[in-house]
Amino acid sequence: MGQSRREFLKTTAIGAGAAGVVGFPAVARAQSGKLVVWWNKGYYPEEDIAMQKIVKEFEAKQKVEVDLSFTAQEDLLKKITAALIARRTPDVAFCFYNDWQVVPKYGWDDKLTDVSDVIKELKPRYNEKMLEVAYVWNNKTKKRAYYGVPIEAQTMHIHYWRDLLREAGMEDDPAKIPLKWDEYWGYWKKAQDVLRKKDPAKYGKLYGLGVTESTRASDTLYNFEMALLSFNGEILDKNGKIVADQPQNKKAIVDTLKWFGDIFTSGYVPPDATNWTDGDNNAGFHSRTLVMTPNPSQSIPAAQFFNKEDPEKKNYFDNMATIEWPDGPDGKKARYLSAVKTIIIPKDGKNQAKAKDFIKFVVEKDRFLEYIKAANGRWFPAFTDVAADPFWKEGHKGPKGQKDQHVPVATKIFLERDNKVFEHYKHPALSQVYDEFAYAKAISRIITDKWTADKAADEMIERMKAIFAQYK
Amino acid sequence: MTGTTREGGLAAPSRVAVTPRARLPRVLRSATLQGFVFTAPLLFLFAAFVLYPMVSGLYAATDPDSYRAIFGDPVFRQTVSNTIWYVVVAVNVKLVLALLLSGVLDYPFLSTRVLAALFLIPWAIPALPGILSFRWMLNSQWGIFNHLLTKLGLSSVPWLAQHDTALAFVIIFHIWKYLPFWTIIFLAGRRAIPSELYEAAAIDGGSLAQNFFSITFPLLKSLYLICTLLSMVFTLGDFTVPWLLTGGAPGDTTHVLATLAYRYTFAMGRLEWGLSTFAVALPITLLFIGMLMRWVKI
Repeated sequence: MGQSRREFLKTTAIGAGAAGVVGFPAVARAQSGKLVVWWNKGYYPEEDIAMQKIVKEFEAKQKVEVDLSFTAQEDLLKKITAALIARRTPDVAFCFYNDWQVVPKYGWDDKLTDVSDVIKELKPRYNEKMLEVAYVWNNKTKKRAYYGVPIEAQTMHIHYWRDLLREAGMEDDPAKIPLKWDEYWGYWKKAQDVLRKKDPAKYGKLYGLGVTESTRASDTLYNFEMALLSFNGEILDKNGKIVADQPQNKKAIVDTLKWFGDIFTSGYVPPDATNWTDGDNNAGFHSRTLVMTPNPSQSIPAAQFFNKEDPEKKNYFDNMATIEWPDGPDGKKARYLSAVKTIIIPKDGKNQAKAKDFIKFVVEKDRFLEYIKAANGRWFPAFTDVAADPFWKEGHKGPKGQKDQHVPVATKIFLERDNKVFEHYKHPALSQVYDEFAYAKAISRIITDKWTADKAADEMIERMKAIFAQYK
Repeated sequence: MTGTTREGGLAAPSRVAVTPRARLPRVLRSATLQGFVFTAPLLFLFAAFVLYPMVSGLYAATDPDSYRAIFGDPVFRQTVSNTIWYVVVAVNVKLVLALLLSGVLDYPFLSTRVLAALFLIPWAIPALPGILSFRWMLNSQWGIFNHLLTKLGLSSVPWLAQHDTALAFVIIFHIWKYLPFWTIIFLAGRRAIPSELYEAAAIDGGSLAQNFFSITFPLLKSLYLICTLLSMVFTLGDFTVPWLLTGGAPGDTTHVLATLAYRYTFAMGRLEWGLSTFAVALPITLLFIGMLMRWVKI
């Protein structure tokens, strides 16, 4: 029964090859019958329930089976990335990171389906400012097209504890908080100083500014880009060419970095902010060790709204408030950035037509309104008819008739302020700049390595140019 | 059963008995084919989950542009340095401590047996809650470490927000977590040393140190080297501890090759960069594995 090594290797190789050839397509064939939908798991069970309801309605109407799965955003991004690389994709994918990390890159690589026809049909309903996010360059066809369907957006808000300000003897009404740049940031610093002095045992580790400055958190990108806008800086021109090294923009970058370095080194930002994840500023705020925190969604008030330990919702309606980003150092009203969440159809999906029908079905006015309201104001709709619902202007009503201090602030920012989408749609290299957390690294150079803002800006700009040079 | 002739007599039995196996065509009788049939499920799994990913990974890692890109990334250079520190310090400190502690646990007292059981806890608990607890303990605002420092009148230290202390705690956690495992391995090695040798040394008046350097260590030397090589291979590929404890922060300065490859692949969608990062470590890993196989004569 002896077998030579040569015989063994021969049969092993043939067997393995045959098994591979026979086995792999079988998996793909098994998927082709139904519509495979990968959906971002909602922050609240109500969101998932609303989506399941939509899917059931779609199945009944279209007589098609839908394989719907929910995955948390961090895992879903990896799943989508792996699927696109391996070309074994779902028919529809919606991840909160699609706009930033999927659409620009994989649109460029021709791995996404052109959904311009869907957008054309929906265009009359869109808040047009939000459409740009999906209008990206395809480096194979050498032209721009829509490679995603935007549905909802988030923007920058600042949340603060009103009761902490009251305890510090400071004005807590959002309308009375100064909005001038220096006064605004100084206000939170003062709250920290007063509270620490008043009760060192209780507030010895309290910080005035919960500003994330870490390479682990997308909040850092938001914070940096918002501050850069306040300093009138731009990274890209309208054609997607990098202009960060132009004198005015370089100065704005240096000023922005210097500002981040100053608030940190002066002791008003928790030292761990350079190591925070996106949830850490939320956790710090909820545990009342931060007076305020900038956060690019309404997740913090929404979490308080559902706080079971606070059945009267005192925190949501009375103890905290949401306020706008301050006016720039030049006195001009803040300009805002929106991250617009987008559905994609991978090009390797087996049911392209059905996938488009599904998306159109999801975003129909009443259906989508029910879905997005289940997120409790966390997202703002990309469709004007949905945004016209009174919920966005009024928000929730408190048990004692209190007014909502959160949702209407976001609505005001979206509808009344100068607002633009993140500019990675102009060039996928900007996505990579974000992926590499180039801004946070520059901040870290100042804070940790004690570099000057000038030197850190130079390194950051050089790195950005090197990244852009990789895209040919 | 034997057949009958027309004349009714018994037919002579055939010279060779025809067994069911002999009736099969020659190709189906081949021992090779039968072997293949029985091993086919395993071969399929091996091909699908080991061979195919490895070959396609190595193929994807042959693009010179990827190496140009990763060597041009300042984070990569810092990462190589971190990985060397991580592997060299963590493995050596951990194994030296394990060797010494195995001596303590070798004493035949009830207290050492209880101690050994307690000592195994870090290894037994899942890594995730352990790391998250560590993160909380190191928090500069509410962590227990800084609380104690403050009680002693010292100022807080942002342990995970500065490169040196963050990397140091990655190493410390790794040692804390895996020290028990290697200690038990060395303890088993010590128990295999014949007690007569120590009795003879005792008659000659050998001290503890003399026993260690003249009996214990020479007899554990091979085991120690094998453990070092094994631990180096494990530590070089360790992802969990650095990723969950620091995630590369602050400023992407605490990555090791495994976490950076993950970041390139999944955060940046650059599979070829991730594979090239692994490929950079591959010659060293293969060297360790080769030495190990030679040592234990596999």
